[in-house]
Amino acid sequence: MSAPVTDADVEEFRAEVRAWLAENVPAEPLPPWTERAGFDLHRAWEGRLFDGGYAAVDWPTEYGGRDAGLRRSMAFAEEYYRAGAPERINMGGLYLLGPVLMQYGTPEQCARWIPDLLACRTIWCQGFSEPGSGSDLASLRTRAERDGDHYVVNGQKIWTSMGGFADWIFALVRTDPEAGRKRKHDGITFLCIDLRSPGVEVRPLAMVDGTRGFAEVFFTDVRVPVENVVGEVDRGWAVAMSTLGFERGAVFGDHAKFSNDVADLAALVDARDLDEDTHALDELGRVLVQTEVYRANVYRLAARAEAGGELDSTASINKVFWTQMQHDIFDTGIRLLAEDGAVVGDPGSLPDADPATLRAWSQWHHRYWYARAAMIFGGTNEIQRNIISERVLGLPMEPRR
Amino acid sequence: MTPHDTLDQDRRELVELTDDLLGRHCDLDFLRARIDDGTAHTPGLWGRLAETGLVSALVAEEHGGAGLTPAHLSGVLHSLGRHAVPEPYLETAVLAATVLDALPGPVADTWLPRIAAGDAVVVVRLGELTPLLPYAADADLLLDVADDGAVRAFAADELEVTPVPALDPLRPLGRVVLTGAGTEVGDDGAVVARTRTLALSGAACLLAGASQRLLDLTVEYVAVREQFGRPVGSFQAVKHKAADLAVMVDMATAAALSAFDAADEPDGPRRAAAAKAYAGEAAARANVDALQLHGGIGFTWEYHLHIWLKRVMGLAASYGTTTALRRDLARELVARVGQERRG
Repeated sequence: MSAPVTDADVEEFRAEVRAWLAENVPAEPLPPWTERAGFDLHRAWEGRLFDGGYAAVDWPTEYGGRDAGLRRSMAFAEEYYRAGAPERINMGGLYLLGPVLMQYGTPEQCARWIPDLLACRTIWCQGFSEPGSGSDLASLRTRAERDGDHYVVNGQKIWTSMGGFADWIFALVRTDPEAGRKRKHDGITFLCIDLRSPGVEVRPLAMVDGTRGFAEVFFTDVRVPVENVVGEVDRGWAVAMSTLGFERGAVFGDHAKFSNDVADLAALVDARDLDEDTHALDELGRVLVQTEVYRANVYRLAARAEAGGELDSTASINKVFWTQMQHDIFDTGIRLLAEDGAVVGDPGSLPDADPATLRAWSQWHHRYWYARAAMIFGGTNEIQRNIISERVLGLPMEPRR
Repeated sequence: MTPHDTLDQDRRELVELTDDLLGRHCDLDFLRARIDDGTAHTPGLWGRLAETGLVSALVAEEHGGAGLTPAHLSGVLHSLGRHAVPEPYLETAVLAATVLDALPGPVADTWLPRIAAGDAVVVVRLGELTPLLPYAADADLLLDVADDGAVRAFAADELEVTPVPALDPLRPLGRVVLTGAGTEVGDDGAVVARTRTLALSGAACLLAGASQRLLDLTVEYVAVREQFGRPVGSFQAVKHKAADLAVMVDMATAAALSAFDAADEPDGPRRAAAAKAYAGEAAARANVDALQLHGGIGFTWEYHLHIWLKRVMGLAASYGTTTALRRDLARELVARVGQERRG
C-alpha cells in the first residue's frame, strides 16, 4: 500500500482534474452514442481521456491508470460530472471486465486486454442473459465444447448492451453439461470471445425508445482459444458473481451525476415558474433528499472499502436504492415537463421552449429509459430483494430448484 | 495510528458500552414499568447513563466532561433509538451541552458540571422547530435559542409547562410559556445553526435506530411464525417487503450517522435536513410494514411492537417533518440554481 492520501492530496488532484477537464471537455454535448456517428465521437473522447491519463485513475499505472486510490478517484468522478463531460461508453469493460480481470485474470490476460479496454480501442459487452435464462441465469445453455486448443461455441445471448458496437464479448458458456445436471451452477465457464470471429452474428435490437442500444448475439461453431478462459474452467459462476457484484455495487463518484440531474430539475422548476408550487417543490425535494442520502452511502462504502472491509453484502441494497432513485429523478422530470414531456425528437419539436427546458428535455427521455433498464439489468430488483432477504436478513429460502 | 483510526475505535467502544448498559437497564420490563407508571425520565437510568460518561461526553474537561466531539456520538444515538430510551439524551447531553459549551460564562459554569454529573435535565427551545418540547416537564433549565442567536436561560420556576398527552408515552411533550425574565447566556448566530444541525441529524440517528428495531423485530417474527406449513418469512411477498424496508433503513442510517458526524462541515445543515427527511420517510415505511407483517399480534398492547411504532411516529413529527424539510431543501436549491442561471 502507498502512503495514506491526505485531504490536501485529494484537493490538489481535484484542481488538476478540473483544469484538464475545462480545457478538454467538448463545448457542445456529443450526439447520443446509440447512433454510429455519436458513438465514434464518444470513442474519440474516451481516447483523449486515456491519453490524458484519466480513463480510470484508480487502476494500476502499468495498464494506463494512475494508482490514485479511491478518494482521488471519487474526486475525479465528481469533477467529471460537474464539468458535464460525455457519458462513458465502455461500461462493460470499464466497470465490469476490468475489475474482474484484475481479480481473476492471468497477468498475460490483463496485459493483453486491459490497456486496449481502457483506451477504448476495444469495446466490450457482457454475454450473460439468454432467451431462456434471465433471472434464472444458471440455467444458461450456450455450449462450449473443447476441441484441442480451442472451445467451439454454439448458442445465443440476448439483451446484450452495446452489442451492436462491441468488438469483444465476455460470456458465460456451459463447458460441462453433466455437472450442470446435478447442480446448475457447476460446469459454467467465463470465456472472452472476439466478436469478429467466424460464426458470430450480432443482430442489433431496437429498444423501447427506438435506439439500437442492445443486441442479440448468435454463435455457430465459433472457435475460441482456450487461453481466453478467465478463472477456472467449469468454475465460471464465481467469476460471474464477482462481475455482478461490480454491476450492482457503487460506482464510486456517480452520486455527483445524480446531483447534477437534480440541479437540472431545479433549473426547470425555476424556469417554468414552479418555485411556489408546493407539489413541484415536494417532488423536487423528494429526489434531492434521495441524492443526498446516496452520496452519504457512497462515502460510507468507500470508507469501508479503504479499510479493507467487504462490500458484497451491500451490493444488492445499493442496486435497489440507486436504480429506484434514478428512476424517480427522471420520472419526476418528465412529469414536471407536463405536455412537453410527451414530445420527443430534435429541439425543433419544442420551438417555444426555454433553454432550461430544452437542456433537460433533450436528455431525460434517454436517461428515463436507461433508468427503467437499470431496474432490470444486473439481476432484476426482484432478484436483489431475494438476495437481501436471504443473505442480509437471513430469512428462509423460497423453495426452488 | 491517525486520529481517524482512534475515532472509529472510540465510536465502536461507545456503542458497545451503550448497548451493554441499555441491554441490562433499559429492557422491555423497564419500558413497560415506565409506561405503567406514567413516568419516562427516571433519575435511575439517567444516572447510569451519566456514570458511564455518556451524558458528559460533549462537556469540556474543565467542566467535568470528556470533551469529545459530536462525531463520537452518532452511533450512541442510533443505539438509544434501537432501545427506545425514555431519556432526554439528545436534548440535554447533545443540544444543551453544545449551546452552553459555545457560550462561556456564569450560566455555563453553573450548569455544565451539573449536566456532566447527571444532576440536571436541560432542554433547548429552537424557535419554530420545537413548538412542543420533549421532556419540558422534567427540565431544571430551559435554554431559549432565538433565531438571531440570542440565548437566554430560564430556570424551572420561570416556566409554565403544560404537559401534552403524547402519542409516545416514553417521550413526553410539553407546551412552554416563559413566565420569568430569564438570564442572558450569550449571543452567537453560529450557535443557532450548529444546534439546529445537531437537532435534525441527532433526531435522524434516533429515528434510524428505532426503525432498525422495527425491522429487526419483524425479521425475527416472520422467521418463526408459520402458516401453510412454513415460516411466513419464506414467502416472497413477505420477504420483498422486508427487503425494501431493509434498503430504506440501511440508507437512512448511512445518511443520519454521516450527517451527525459532519455537523461542522460547510454543507452540514443541508446534510442534516436531508438525513432527517429521509429518516422520516424510512420510519414511515417501517411503521407500516412492521405492523402489517406482524399481523394481529403486532396490534396488541401486550406485545411490544407499539413501543417502537409510536417512537418513530413521535420522532418523525419532531425537529422538522419530512414534508417541511423537503420543501425547504427544494426552495434553497431552486434559489441557488436560479441565481446561477441568471448569472
